[in-house]
Amino acid sequence: MASAFAVPPSPPAITPLLAPDRANGAAIRAALAYMVVGLGTFLLLGLLGLLMRLDQGGLIVIPPAWFYRIMTLHGAGMVATILLAALGGLAAAVSATTRLKARVLWIALILHLIGTGFVILTTLVGGFGAGWTVLYPLPSHGDIWPLSAAIAMYVGYLFIALGLLVYCLHMLYALARAHGGLANVLALRYLFSFGRDTRSALPRPPELIAAVISIDGIAAATSGVVYLIPMFAHAAGVTSVNALFAKNAVLLFGHTMANLSIYVTAGLVYAALPTFTGRPWRTTWAVVCAWDLIIILMLANYSHHLYADFAQPLGLQLLAELGSYAVALPSFIVTVVGALTLIYRSAIRWTVAPTLLMLGIWGWVLGGIGAVLDATIPVNQVMHNTMWVPAHFHTYYLLGAVAFAWGYLFYMVRELTADRDARMVRVAAWLYGIGGAGFILMLFVAGGHSVPRRYAVHLPQWQVYARIAVPFVLLLALGLAWFSWDLGTRFRAAWRGTQSAESKP
Amino acid sequence: MTVAPNPSGFVWQWEWELPLIASLVVSEVAYVVCWFRGGLAPQRAHLAWKHLAAFTAGLVIIVIALASPIGANDERLLSMHMVAHDLLIWVAAPLVVAGGVPLLGDTNRLPWSLRQALELLTSPGVALLASTSLLWVWHAPTAFDRALAHEGVHVVEHLCFLIGYLLYWWPLVVRPEAIGGLRGHLARAVYLAVGMMQSALLSALIMFHGTVLYTTYLHVPGATLDSALADQRLAGALMWYPGAVVFALAAALVIREDVVGPWPGPRSARINGIRESPQPD
Repeated sequence: MASAFAVPPSPPAITPLLAPDRANGAAIRAALAYMVVGLGTFLLLGLLGLLMRLDQGGLIVIPPAWFYRIMTLHGAGMVATILLAALGGLAAAVSATTRLKARVLWIALILHLIGTGFVILTTLVGGFGAGWTVLYPLPSHGDIWPLSAAIAMYVGYLFIALGLLVYCLHMLYALARAHGGLANVLALRYLFSFGRDTRSALPRPPELIAAVISIDGIAAATSGVVYLIPMFAHAAGVTSVNALFAKNAVLLFGHTMANLSIYVTAGLVYAALPTFTGRPWRTTWAVVCAWDLIIILMLANYSHHLYADFAQPLGLQLLAELGSYAVALPSFIVTVVGALTLIYRSAIRWTVAPTLLMLGIWGWVLGGIGAVLDATIPVNQVMHNTMWVPAHFHTYYLLGAVAFAWGYLFYMVRELTADRDARMVRVAAWLYGIGGAGFILMLFVAGGHSVPRRYAVHLPQWQVYARIAVPFVLLLALGLAWFSWDLGTRFRAAWRGTQSAESKP
Repeated sequence: MTVAPNPSGFVWQWEWELPLIASLVVSEVAYVVCWFRGGLAPQRAHLAWKHLAAFTAGLVIIVIALASPIGANDERLLSMHMVAHDLLIWVAAPLVVAGGVPLLGDTNRLPWSLRQALELLTSPGVALLASTSLLWVWHAPTAFDRALAHEGVHVVEHLCFLIGYLLYWWPLVVRPEAIGGLRGHLARAVYLAVGMMQSALLSALIMFHGTVLYTTYLHVPGATLDSALADQRLAGALMWYPGAVVFALAAALVIREDVVGPWPGPRSARINGIRESPQPD
């Protein structure tokens, strides 16, 4: 085990995002498209979130049927769109050393957009409001929306799953090809020899993380298809569906997708932070072990959403609790310790990108602690249907994954334009952090006071939490508008930067 | 459904309308002659069997859309009508463009007036606007019911769809350097996405509308309000879902690989020191 934290004899170079000899401009352009579509949609869906909070605070009145439509679109859309931005960032990071086919990335994006179109139209036009989990049998028996709306929602999920599948298959194939096999890209020999077998070239951390994520992405997409086939059959009147099986399948799909976006964006920290600290992030045994473990553990923890289902086998419940603890700790430790080690005495300039990346680290940790608490069965029995649950996933999404994604986009634009970030934009990062933290804190406080989640109409005594949250949401919105403006003014130059690199000899 | 067609007789309900068949036969003969001559332009074009096959398949799909039981029942069932439209705009139009455009040879060497006209009509903005407008205008209840009531208007409606979507597919199907051709992944993806979103929105509006939009279908013998509404929902789905599949397939076909510079590859990458490993203890 002494080799776990060993230092290689010669420090390797830090890989730049874009270099003429790697001709990865086309892949970077696709990655930029992913990030812009993903984060742009995030902004629009965030406005829907603000509407819901205003309604829960009694400041505006949204009819309940519309509240549930908005809640469904906000939930389903956020999971898909943050994952999209994250996958874009990961493609950019990996393309620096591994050849990715831009064509395949664009095809996966189109598939994702087709699915997103279905989800948007089904909720806003079709009236579907069963929540992003589309838990059987509610979608098929809604009195508010027609069966055709439920089917359209399933079709939308199917296309999103297909887009994810195409992306992950290509990523895995490209990485395996570049490293001479899947075992090499996962550094399995290095792992099982406890760091002694270094005959194969080790992957860079973003490549390792991309391979891990792709394997879980394939599993998630497959479980989505497994869920959807009986749903279509049921809608056609062919078969009945086991409700417990359906719930397991849909949460294996949806929960894993939500987890993927967090772990993908954590991978972006490994790619970007070294360029700010001037120190490379090495593929140590601890890094390999922590991330390889995630392949199994990420698929085991979804079941903590089924603690209230008495029919779920006890073994799966216990596996969910153990899996939830285990999935969080190793990757937290190596990422947080690694990031802090890189930053310590590095004379890093705290521009907007590293500020957001660091904010993301803490958001991820705090959201993870909330998740681990929620995954503890006695706590879950009390808290699961309260605002505690939105609090924890908003923490690791808004302050974790989304902060990582914005930070990485700032890093990409800086690399592609060779411009320094404007100092004042750091203020926007602080606005984002403070606004996000205040908004989320009120969700936690509401959860602590047993305010239920997924309620369209809040009792007067519950409304205070949402009312206090609204000014923080406005701060958050101001920060995001500032980010968008700053990136918008430099985006054209960044896009040109990807092309000019290709035109050089 | 409004009126269930008699299953045993359904497959034989072909409507062989002479003007339609004659115009398609003339088109095919003219295409074959030009194909054997090496195209329309003075210089011989690179014509392959796949072009002939695509053009012929496009015309066959038009026959299936308009003369087969699908077309024959389109005045009784909206769902059948939508299938006919799907075949025209999602299948026949791109096939005809794929087979027909190579006949023109190098479009940049066409006569000036023809080139100008093509540049205007097939510019992506105009093509997108034309196809979208024609699709939406003809699906307005007044126009749609008028088409169902008058055969001549119905023919014009189908011609509009075909022409509109010949224009729509042109920028995607032709080579990027040809007139109207879209260059780059971003342009192609955005064009595809906008075309997809507008048709999806129209389909969703038809599918989820709470009342019968096209009242002609209420007056079909045996139709009830419920059956007409169910038929309308099916029609919306038949426009939306196959359209999504077509756009997914189109993305796979028309988003092409960018021309990139030399790639060092994994082995040379290691030699050049790009990879950071192996990292011995």
